Amino acid sequence: MALAIRRYNDILCATKWFIRRDCRVFSTLPETVEQYPKPQVVKEQRSSRIRANASNPKLAYRQIYPEFLPDPNPKWRNSLREKLERADMLKRRSQIDIPEFYVGSILAVTVADPHAQGKVTKFVGICIERKGCGLRAEFTLRNVVDHQGVEVRYDLYDPTVQKIQVLRLEKRLDDKLFYLRDALPEYSTFAFDMDPEILPEGTPVPVNAVQVILKPRPWLERWERQELKGVANIEEHLKEKDRVRRELRATPWEKYDLMKTYRKTIPVEDQNKIWAEVNSQLEQLQLTRKKMSRKRIFNTPKVQLG
Amino acid sequence: MLKSLIKKLHVVQSSCGFHTTASLNEVRLLTRLRVVDNSEIGKRAMAEGKPPKIICVYNKQRVGYIGDRVLVAIKGQKKKGILVGLKQTQKVKVPKFDSNNVVLIDDNGTPLGNRIHVPIPTILRTILKEKTHSKGADYTKLLSIATRFV
Amino acid sequence: MATTNLNILRNALNKLRIDHVFTRSFQTPKFRPPHWYLPKDRVGSEESLTQENKKFIEEVMQERMKAQAMLETESPLSNIDTSQTAQWNPLTRRVGLIARKIGNYPLWSKDGKKVQTTLLQVVDNHVIKYIPPEEFNPMIIRKPVWKEKKKLGCLLVGAETIDPSTVTKEYCGLFNQVGMLPKRILCRFMVSPNACLPSGTPLFATHFRVGDHIDIRSKTMDRGFQGVMKRWGFKGMPASHGVTKTHRRPGNIGAGGEKARVWPGTKMPGHMGNRWRTLRGVKILRINVKHNVIWTLGVAIPGETGAMCYLFDTVLPLKKHKTSPPFPTQPLIKDLPLEYYDESIQPFDNNSITFEET
Repeated sequence: MALAIRRYNDILCATKWFIRRDCRVFSTLPETVEQYPKPQVVKEQRSSRIRANASNPKLAYRQIYPEFLPDPNPKWRNSLREKLERADMLKRRSQIDIPEFYVGSILAVTVADPHAQGKVTKFVGICIERKGCGLRAEFTLRNVVDHQGVEVRYDLYDPTVQKIQVLRLEKRLDDKLFYLRDALPEYSTFAFDMDPEILPEGTPVPVNAVQVILKPRPWLERWERQELKGVANIEEHLKEKDRVRRELRATPWEKYDLMKTYRKTIPVEDQNKIWAEVNSQLEQLQLTRKKMSRKRIFNTPKVQLG
Repeated sequence: MLKSLIKKLHVVQSSCGFHTTASLNEVRLLTRLRVVDNSEIGKRAMAEGKPPKIICVYNKQRVGYIGDRVLVAIKGQKKKGILVGLKQTQKVKVPKFDSNNVVLIDDNGTPLGNRIHVPIPTILRTILKEKTHSKGADYTKLLSIATRFV
Repeated sequence: MATTNLNILRNALNKLRIDHVFTRSFQTPKFRPPHWYLPKDRVGSEESLTQENKKFIEEVMQERMKAQAMLETESPLSNIDTSQTAQWNPLTRRVGLIARKIGNYPLWSKDGKKVQTTLLQVVDNHVIKYIPPEEFNPMIIRKPVWKEKKKLGCLLVGAETIDPSTVTKEYCGLFNQVGMLPKRILCRFMVSPNACLPSGTPLFATHFRVGDHIDIRSKTMDRGFQGVMKRWGFKGMPASHGVTKTHRRPGNIGAGGEKARVWPGTKMPGHMGNRWRTLRGVKILRINVKHNVIWTLGVAIPGETGAMCYLFDTVLPLKKHKTSPPFPTQPLIKDLPLEYYDESIQPFDNNSITFEET
């Protein structure tokens, strides 16, 4: 019964949306309203990203530096605080090179650690999560060391971080890779002495389309309900009961909820202001980074000889 | 042979039938742990698929955090151990593990085994040094048998 | 006979006057507002204004705002000669500041620990008026205490300049007397007579120093009418086991018998929040001189983002000023460094933290 009601609701919602969209053609409202939330959607197709890159570099910033955009909750917004926060972030970025990386990239982080023997620890792992805005931005690395899964969370702007190095720059199919905890260990095993892979300049960030194989249940979360693209064998572990439950809990109307996307994102006008403010300094940082990387390439053979 | 194999598989699939606190992953009374040193009793218990069970956490909250001393029931005996890795969400820069790890010790703080075969967090060095008193048990011996720190 | 009787009655009635009627009115008024407590919000209609008039008003407003801004930087009031005035001693009370809470973000200390901070912005604070202790006559709240009182003067401080056309004439008049534009917030600070300041003196965030402890008074978040579980942290009652309709209720509120009534102060449902509360002994970690922003330790400052708060020197005996703070206030100096950091805080433009091997 409940299923039927839900389906019915679903259809109702869909029809409502269609009606609204068709009505808009006849209405006198300007067309721009419809276009409004479109560019805010953070997840984007790769091809469009390249196009955006070519036409407007500011749009690419949204993915390279997501923490520069403030929290969209209007309760916590304040223009002066955001400005001071951005200034502090840029100050920190001028001290340490924080490279471009995404969820799915493999990073090596060196941290000053008062507990360690050499007062420095290095951890290598795949970035499974990136969250937080402003100085609160943090990311989580995962690796399997000696057959034991280990995860470490780092603050991006922590002054104890000595170095962040991207060993392999790539994206995955999903925004969060928590399912690696339930996947076979070889999907999150990375050697600590991995060599950094250098992408030629100007190439788009490759998307790694690997699909992981999950261990049999029990799982830590109900992965089947999360519409994951990076998992291969989710169906074979499901029972009929789980499929029914998944249908019941599905919220297919949410992607049409314009108000929800609006509340979760920063409007384009605000974004333009922010990027215009930090643009020159970010470009300068990028230039210095390029210079440094060239130097490093030049220096590496010498180091090996020594 | 076959029996032990079946038992091993059984452990992997369901070490614990139900969660007491699923979201917090707290280490408390009757939590199953994983022994990560090579002490004889620990190895046997893990191989048989009867991982130790906590019967006391020696602190005020009765919830075990990293570096806390616990009393475990293992193969019909009572042994003390130190938590060296937790599933629970940790603070920034402190590693979070996929299992709750324990190293068995005796009353003086000397480990029963002589090697730990998983990485242990560096913060344990400071915690155990703070917990060691000049006249009481010396827990820092555990650090010397560790193979790897993260 | 009857007529004479009537006449007597009439005479008696004539003698009786209204003011002979005696009523008892010895009670002092319950609330006598201070003289600066005037109606502020003006309900104006824009209909009578022509386009030209509107433009003219805007022009005048622009000019006055400009003059106000000049006053802050160039007036002699902003550079008080601190050596001339009286010296600070631990018993004197300085003026405070009016600030706006603008958010939280973390800073890192030099030993690598993360500390959460609250940002407070001091928005153009100006001294409006000083009322000396002899003239200051507040409403009587309780019985007079027969001991020598420490006489304090009253200093009115305003914050956030607003358009004069949005406020009433009376409220505007308070500021016109001292040649200032009206302010959104007007607040009084009780100060020692030697800490008084002339009208029009600007106050800056540098009034406090980095490492000082301050008291912050503001209104807590308004949560509306709440039940006992949220308001007082009661446990409620079980979700099942035969419990009906009493899952979040307080339960018993007292015994019967001799005291068969509700005791005063019983914790009950009611309005929660929107009360004045003071957080004492908050440490200042960082000060931005350009934007007049103060970073304070912790996130427990009452009120949501955008709330007004009043900052005072702390009264806690162990955290009071040991040395003389800027007295009576810090004048405007052109070549101050842009930011001050507490010695425990790691500035973001310093090198990364490294630990020495011991």
